[in-house]
Amino acid sequence: MTLNTEPVPLSPLTAQRIQNLHDDKLEINNHKIHIKGNLNIDDHGYIVYEDFKFTHIPGHESGLVHGCRNLGQNLRKFLNEIPVYINKNSALATCWIGFFQDFAPIGLAPEDRPPQHIREIIQKYGIIQSGIGGMNHLCPDMTIGFELGWGGLLEKVRAYRTQNAPADTSFYDGEEELILGIQEWIRRHVEYANTLAENAQDEEERENYREIARINEWLIDNPPLTLREACQFLAHFQCVDRTYFGGGALGQLDELLRPFYEQDVSDGILTDEEAVWYVASLFFNDTHYSQIGGLTPDGSRDMTSRMSFLILEAMHDLCIPANIAIRVHDGINEPLLRRALEYTVQDGFGCCYSMAQGIEEGYAKNGYPLELGRMRAKTGCNWCAVPGREYPLQDVTRCNFARAFNWAMEDLKQQENPTLEALWELFQKHLHIMVDCFKEGYDWHYEVVSRNTPEIVDNLFMHGPIERGLNCAQGGVDIYNLNIDGIGLATVADSFAAIEQRVVKEQRLTWEELFDVLERNYDGAEDVRLMLKNIHRFGTPDSPAERWAVKIRDDYVSYCKGSLTPKHHLMIIPGMFSHGDVYMYGNVTKATPNGRKDGEPISHSSEPDPGFARGVQTFSPSLKANAVAKTQAGYGNSAPLHLDIDTDLLSSSGGVDALVTLIHTHNHMNGTLINLNCLTKQKLLEAHEDPSTHPDLVVRVTGYSAFFASLSKEYRQQVVDRFLANEPA
Amino acid sequence: MEHIDTPGTIFNIQKFSVHDGPGVRTAVFFKGCNLACVWCHNPESISPRPQVEFYPDRCIGCGKCVEACPTGAQRFDPITGAHVVDRGLCEGCLSCAETCYAGALAGVGQTVTAGEVLARILDDKPYYDQSGGGVTFSGGECMMQPAFLHALLSLCREHKIHTAVDTAGNVSWKWFERILPLTDLFLYDVKAADSGTHRRLTGRGNELILENLSRLSQQGASIIVRVPFIKGYNDGEMEAIARLLAPLTLQKVEILPYHKLGNSKYTALDLPNRAPLAQVPEPELLDRTVEAFRALGIPACHT
Repeated sequence: MTLNTEPVPLSPLTAQRIQNLHDDKLEINNHKIHIKGNLNIDDHGYIVYEDFKFTHIPGHESGLVHGCRNLGQNLRKFLNEIPVYINKNSALATCWIGFFQDFAPIGLAPEDRPPQHIREIIQKYGIIQSGIGGMNHLCPDMTIGFELGWGGLLEKVRAYRTQNAPADTSFYDGEEELILGIQEWIRRHVEYANTLAENAQDEEERENYREIARINEWLIDNPPLTLREACQFLAHFQCVDRTYFGGGALGQLDELLRPFYEQDVSDGILTDEEAVWYVASLFFNDTHYSQIGGLTPDGSRDMTSRMSFLILEAMHDLCIPANIAIRVHDGINEPLLRRALEYTVQDGFGCCYSMAQGIEEGYAKNGYPLELGRMRAKTGCNWCAVPGREYPLQDVTRCNFARAFNWAMEDLKQQENPTLEALWELFQKHLHIMVDCFKEGYDWHYEVVSRNTPEIVDNLFMHGPIERGLNCAQGGVDIYNLNIDGIGLATVADSFAAIEQRVVKEQRLTWEELFDVLERNYDGAEDVRLMLKNIHRFGTPDSPAERWAVKIRDDYVSYCKGSLTPKHHLMIIPGMFSHGDVYMYGNVTKATPNGRKDGEPISHSSEPDPGFARGVQTFSPSLKANAVAKTQAGYGNSAPLHLDIDTDLLSSSGGVDALVTLIHTHNHMNGTLINLNCLTKQKLLEAHEDPSTHPDLVVRVTGYSAFFASLSKEYRQQVVDRFLANEPA
Repeated sequence: MEHIDTPGTIFNIQKFSVHDGPGVRTAVFFKGCNLACVWCHNPESISPRPQVEFYPDRCIGCGKCVEACPTGAQRFDPITGAHVVDRGLCEGCLSCAETCYAGALAGVGQTVTAGEVLARILDDKPYYDQSGGGVTFSGGECMMQPAFLHALLSLCREHKIHTAVDTAGNVSWKWFERILPLTDLFLYDVKAADSGTHRRLTGRGNELILENLSRLSQQGASIIVRVPFIKGYNDGEMEAIARLLAPLTLQKVEILPYHKLGNSKYTALDLPNRAPLAQVPEPELLDRTVEAFRALGIPACHT
């Protein structure tokens, strides 16, 4: 049967409903900014209730919410007390109101905080995210929930509690409390929807509330049977998942929803337009990460279905931040890729593009079958996971290469005859200390996190935790891959290259002078700063800086992969991802010889710095893409390529064709992820100057998309710098 | 001399170009041109010699350029303190630009070998393979460096890279003969039909240009003719250009509307803008022009 790839025309009613959801989102977001100030994370979708207060039940002498049982009790209480919400334009009920940890103290108990020697290294190297206590960053398998429903999940927990008869019942107690809390919370939506129905202005609205009430009532105990019920189930899940430490993964969304869609269509109870409305309502609820397209595990076919296109339509029609990835491979459904790009050009933002070759074949290099690699869905800012089967702690560490470099320079200063070779060895020494700290920290995390902050929500949707009575962070699942993310590659590569050129080769500067200007933070030495900055920086093909970048990457990757964690022998996968944290880490990084002053941001992930292209080589997307592809960590974790492309230039000719080429080629060159914005300079600069002028401008910041107006000035500056650096000279 | 060692002067390598032939391409801009179109948007391409661009707002007043300049072309006005570039004294050695880390002085033009350019072209081969793209040699007038162009075309052929030569055609036919077997596509500029007008707008008549174009067509070369539409200067030429092109065998005719992106370069090079009246043509005007070409059976479009 030919796949229907056509866009979905919307009736005035559905178009209006989705437009109203869009408008409501802007209003909710404005309110959020007003109350909370700028947010440098995903928009998510929560609604602020300023007056809501929560009194927790302490589970530990320190007053913390602590352990699975106590956590379950608290979440049940929380779910029973939070306001319930139904938007009259939505097909689905519910919202979430903020992170649980913002309402109750939770975290590692004092006795479980890392030991002194780890804390000292963390302190010395300015490690803000050590990975210890890192939460979420795994992908549930929602088919478990679709099959069982909340009632079935409760029975499953009870059955395995009986079967395993653990001496300590805290794990099962907590999981049971959570499910009961969720069921009670859903029941409150039924009551609320019925009340709204009674007071509805017109029959259409009343009927919608009644249907929402019916669906919610059904879902208290039963698994979803229709597409709308499946979307409502996902909305319930994602609210609770997000509430607890910001979980945000749904998985392969098109394949999850396809069976429901096909059944409903076959039963004659669903149109494409209705499907778009349901999915748009789900996206209004939250910006959980999901993937569409990609190969089946055996690699025999692309998974694109009509559902994939309907998901794209919903994202485009709603036009608010969304986090949908398309898995790109040679056999991708080209109309899907082109449609996604057309929407990116039209809307300025859209899908991101996750690369099969780098993700799947890279993963196989860890010793896993390629078939497993194909199952990894892109379900986080930069990261992928096998739904339901992998504990892939990613995006919770930052190994700041520039801090290792700072310490190497400090040590070198003490030597009588400083050399570049000595500097490299010192850099390696400090980098390895940092990597060892992360590895040891992960052993500590493995030992303590389960008794403090178990993955109480995601455990229900993983294969193993309930069956074994084990938290998924500690033996609950079969696959463990702990990630260490390197950041600041270009900062250090350019620093090495600047020293090599200006100090060693040209001898325009002595080592002493270099130490001196760095010590003075370039005060009174602007000419020296510019001299060091204006070399052929990383990003310039065949430059010394590029060779340094590759050398640093190689050393970092081989040291990460060279050993498992020392105590529990857990697998490490190196990655390079900075999120938007380059300011935070720049703040704790002293001046560097690439002309960067103390406190200024360091470079992103494995990206060249903005403005790197000079001389006869002017900036081009491929120049940057090639540099990012060349410096991937290579074991299946993503180091993203961010491109902000001027819509005015793109629309002039062959824009989408060029982007299709860029995406496929990045895949062939072992890139892993492309985050794309299409913007106009005028709009961006106006919004930077006064965010309220463009409240609906959405940008992909770094792996996640957000309202531009929600970002702090520093984060907005990152996007502006990136964009302006692409301008022709 | 080996092809890879053949030297030439270029001023820009633009990767991921989507406006200079099919697919995604790398455009290599040669320095030096034997026309001087009044609207030229690459004024830095006209002189075959390296030149210095000056951006005063970037100057930090460090004075390193004054020390480096062997001819005294760089100086600071003793009264106002302003940085002055004396173009009459500048010999284009670029010593100043090499010491100007602030980027206020930027050298335009670099002598490179064909091998060095090839390496940059090969960086993006996967993009060409994916999109049916390749490399475009442009300028300036790339055919004014025939040995360099020939070497690059030969190297690209060896590496199975699609080649396009972007030329105004004002060179001896023998140079076309030499590169014809190595060139997959010609992007051929036609700026005016009347030779007098052409001379007024570019400094040269167009007899040789039109003859070469005709011969290329007869020899079966793949040709895309590109007609710059400079409102205020060559609007009146369009119909006559269409009549000239109608008998030729052409892949396509592209009407390229004037844009003002090059204006800041004139300031940086201290050159007068010689087309002060040039205007960007309206889309409707371009549409009408394209229709007029098509009416004569010419496969025309505008960008």
